[in-house]
Amino acid sequence: MGALETDLLVIGGGATGAGVAWDAALRGLRVVLVDRHDLAEGTSGRFHGLLHSGARYVVQDPAAARDCIAENRILRRVAAGCIEDTGGLFVTTPWDDPQYAELFAAGCARNGVDCEEIDVARALRSEPRLNPRISRAFVVPDASIDVWKTVRAMARGARERGARVLAHHELVAIERAGDRVLGAVVRDGRGDELRIHARITVNAAGAWAGRVALLAGIEGVRVLPGRGIMIATNHRLVNTVVNRCKPPADGDILVPIRTVSVIGSTDRLTDDPDDQTVHPDEVKLLLDEGERLVPGFRRARLLRVWTGVRPLFDGDRAQEEGGRRDGESRDITRAHALLDHGLRDGVAGFVTITGGKLTTLRLMAQQAVDAACRQLGEQRPCHTDTEPLPGSRSGRHLALGDRLARKEAAREEQLICECELVPRSWLELAIRQAASSDLDDVRRQLRLGMGPCQGGFCIYRAAGILHEVGELAAAETNASLRAFLQERWKGVWPVLHGDQLRQARLDEWIFHGLLAVGRLPAGEART
Amino acid sequence: MSWADAARRFDAVVIGAGTAGMTAAIALAQAGARVCVLAFGLGSTHLAAGTIDVLGAIDGEDPVRSPQRSLARLASARPDHPYALMGASTVAEALAWFARTFAGAAPRGYGYVGDAGRNMMLPTALGTLRPSALVPTTMAAGDAAGLDRVAIAGTPALRDFHPGLCAANLRDAGIRARAVQIQLDLDRADASALGVARRLEEPAWRAAFCRRLGAVLGAEDRVGLPAMIGLHQAAQVLADMEQRLQRRVFEIPTLPPSVPGMRLFEALRRALRAAGGTLVLGAEVSGAERSGGRVLSVAARSAGRQTRYRAPWFVLASGGLGAGAIELDSRGRARERVLGLGLRGVAPASAPRFVEDFFAEQPLARVGVAVDERLCAQDAPNVVVAGAALPGQAPWLEGCGEGVALASGLWAARLVSAELGGRCQATQRSSPGSMPGDAAKPGIDATRRPSPGSMPGDTATESGDRCQRMER
Repeated sequence: MGALETDLLVIGGGATGAGVAWDAALRGLRVVLVDRHDLAEGTSGRFHGLLHSGARYVVQDPAAARDCIAENRILRRVAAGCIEDTGGLFVTTPWDDPQYAELFAAGCARNGVDCEEIDVARALRSEPRLNPRISRAFVVPDASIDVWKTVRAMARGARERGARVLAHHELVAIERAGDRVLGAVVRDGRGDELRIHARITVNAAGAWAGRVALLAGIEGVRVLPGRGIMIATNHRLVNTVVNRCKPPADGDILVPIRTVSVIGSTDRLTDDPDDQTVHPDEVKLLLDEGERLVPGFRRARLLRVWTGVRPLFDGDRAQEEGGRRDGESRDITRAHALLDHGLRDGVAGFVTITGGKLTTLRLMAQQAVDAACRQLGEQRPCHTDTEPLPGSRSGRHLALGDRLARKEAAREEQLICECELVPRSWLELAIRQAASSDLDDVRRQLRLGMGPCQGGFCIYRAAGILHEVGELAAAETNASLRAFLQERWKGVWPVLHGDQLRQARLDEWIFHGLLAVGRLPAGEART
Repeated sequence: MSWADAARRFDAVVIGAGTAGMTAAIALAQAGARVCVLAFGLGSTHLAAGTIDVLGAIDGEDPVRSPQRSLARLASARPDHPYALMGASTVAEALAWFARTFAGAAPRGYGYVGDAGRNMMLPTALGTLRPSALVPTTMAAGDAAGLDRVAIAGTPALRDFHPGLCAANLRDAGIRARAVQIQLDLDRADASALGVARRLEEPAWRAAFCRRLGAVLGAEDRVGLPAMIGLHQAAQVLADMEQRLQRRVFEIPTLPPSVPGMRLFEALRRALRAAGGTLVLGAEVSGAERSGGRVLSVAARSAGRQTRYRAPWFVLASGGLGAGAIELDSRGRARERVLGLGLRGVAPASAPRFVEDFFAEQPLARVGVAVDERLCAQDAPNVVVAGAALPGQAPWLEGCGEGVALASGLWAARLVSAELGGRCQATQRSSPGSMPGDAAKPGIDATRRPSPGSMPGDTATESGDRCQRMER
């Protein structure tokens, strides 16, 4: 078994964990980050892409609203290259209580969320697909954020400052001696184990944080998994984040992110953070709500649906209110929780940070590393509010046309994914740098296979290049290809209809008909 | 003047220009009928491998070794399969008809080889082996039965073919395959198989290509290339390359668009033109005039205006879900879009339309237009259904798409020819009661035509028997 020595071990490579690694590395701490899968493969990557202005919470949860607007302003500076400044709209539709608009406007004013009411006609001019029957419209500083780019930028920044980022390293055990956590043992994809000695271990496992705490022998870290589905359309129906002006509920946000728009979300408590169920009634609900925001939504091409699991920190209350587990989870706070287990449980060297929202990831990371520094007895100020992430130093925001502009400037380059304009050079670089042979990891990095054809044309190409450039054995390439096809289909079939069904049939035609993928060696026998 | 008077009149109107529609139209035109093909777009020819797959897999036999032999097993296991309704002899006749018709229309030397008695196993671009009954001349040397030492050749300029992975998987199948890469003189980095196919028809470019390729070949006696060996002169390009390389050369299908598929479509188009048929591409059928279930005419939009096409018979060869002719809406309701015909193979509303295993057969896979035993639409007795619009088949899991298209296309033509009888316009110019040119036109054999009116095999339960009885 190999061994590593570090100041801070971070468990969980989602937005929070990557944020902790970046924050700690900036403060000069030695950092190791581990995740059982790829970075941002869990909750962070299963997200609609909304950078909150806080307006959504001004009435019900003013503290969350104030956190959001403060962090929104900071992230626009330090993570500029990951954010598209789409702006946001709150609109009152015929199905929304008109009284709420007044509460909303007052709440924005009270909590410092910039909000301007505009003419409905102006709102409809800027977003012509919106329901023309809206009665009021407010402009707020919502935006969309590319979470994979953000997490990778934080991991890269941490790495540049000496951090080790170990994706595909599963937590086996947390090592504890008496009332002190000493680090953890992790196992990589080949089954090799690694012991990591850490002065402080940070549990940033999100919805899985309760399970990680249990490995350290700490009970009562109650994180309820709140399952929600989101659906992406094949192109942008809106270019502004559009919210319903009403108390937060299911299917009331439409977010333009990169090449698609995403409608979200539903909210159901589940027992299992790995639960990725998509219920047909939830799909129906999102389509019906989408129809209210954008008439004709049901005829839009739906690319896919996915499930994210929110970490809802329930403190110790869950023990008393067991009956609520069947219900909706919107009444549980979206605020985050920092648990210093030295103070809370008398177990030193261990900190849990969970709950919260993507928008507040930087603040959560700051508080977690503050707690770690307190335990270490070291004075190390936080710099993440001023230090831009790699790729964000110019202060320029993402723009929808960036990839097209790049492609136009480099016409000699071969495009592998035409939907998302991924050139061969990006793919080859990603494969050479990759920690794994997983085409799905490449997808998260490059958006390969995420467009309208859902990998129909690019995945054979990518597999061929993976085999050649990555010098991967055919059996592993085949396995990666099959896994990728299955992963894409997982999100496609529950919402498949209309023109997207034609696309799916073409993809089936290519893989079953032309390439006979079912006849690959080591493939399961067809039934 | 009513719109009906303004309509263009034909003996039969075929909707769809895929293999099924073109087959039906050519065979009808060969029989002397005035026929018009209306097609919204091109059919699956441009997407498919360009092979004629008759039957590649059935329950318990995958891959199928002899389609001819396994058709009977398929018919008893799946009595609703189009093959079960048409009978094995129709399939054999359709393949023979196709080989003759294609040879008469394709550029000299380019044709199809093989028969329904034995499947060839052809390498795919992934290096798997795919069963096909009839394959173009340019693919014949790829049959795994004759493959021992083979070079799989590609170029980095072609993103749709990766020889390394192809060769590695072929080695797993016991074939001594080696991947070679050559650089090409192309003015663009993202060359397509079609672009290279055109360049390979230039003798000088081809010679340079062969010099580079020859330099990297070793002891291999065959060379597999992506399907790009010429577009209009494939046979000459192949012969010249084989001579220069001193080895057998064969094509491996790549991602769409398909060069062999384009050759196939072009030959079918020539055959239709030669037989006097009309093809209108870009014509979306937008409505139909019905009377008592029968379709009297269809309206098609093309070139910015709407035209009526009137005929006593229609052949619906519009494709299935993939072509968009059968549509599923966001509430899971399926609909036939062209004529609004009833469907078969749709599970009850509460049942899922798809399952989560990508590699499994999907519940909706066998959806198609509800037909009677003559393959006439149940909702419209003068509409014969052909090709992927037929229910009961799973074309690419069963490897039967082109076989069903050819057999049902020919079936539809025979049925319509027989029904037209003396009413056929062309027939009016010749002796009434017999099909013109019966003896001269291959394939449309009066003694092997589905009989008019009710199906003689109505009461028959043995599908194998059905065709026999029909032929009497």
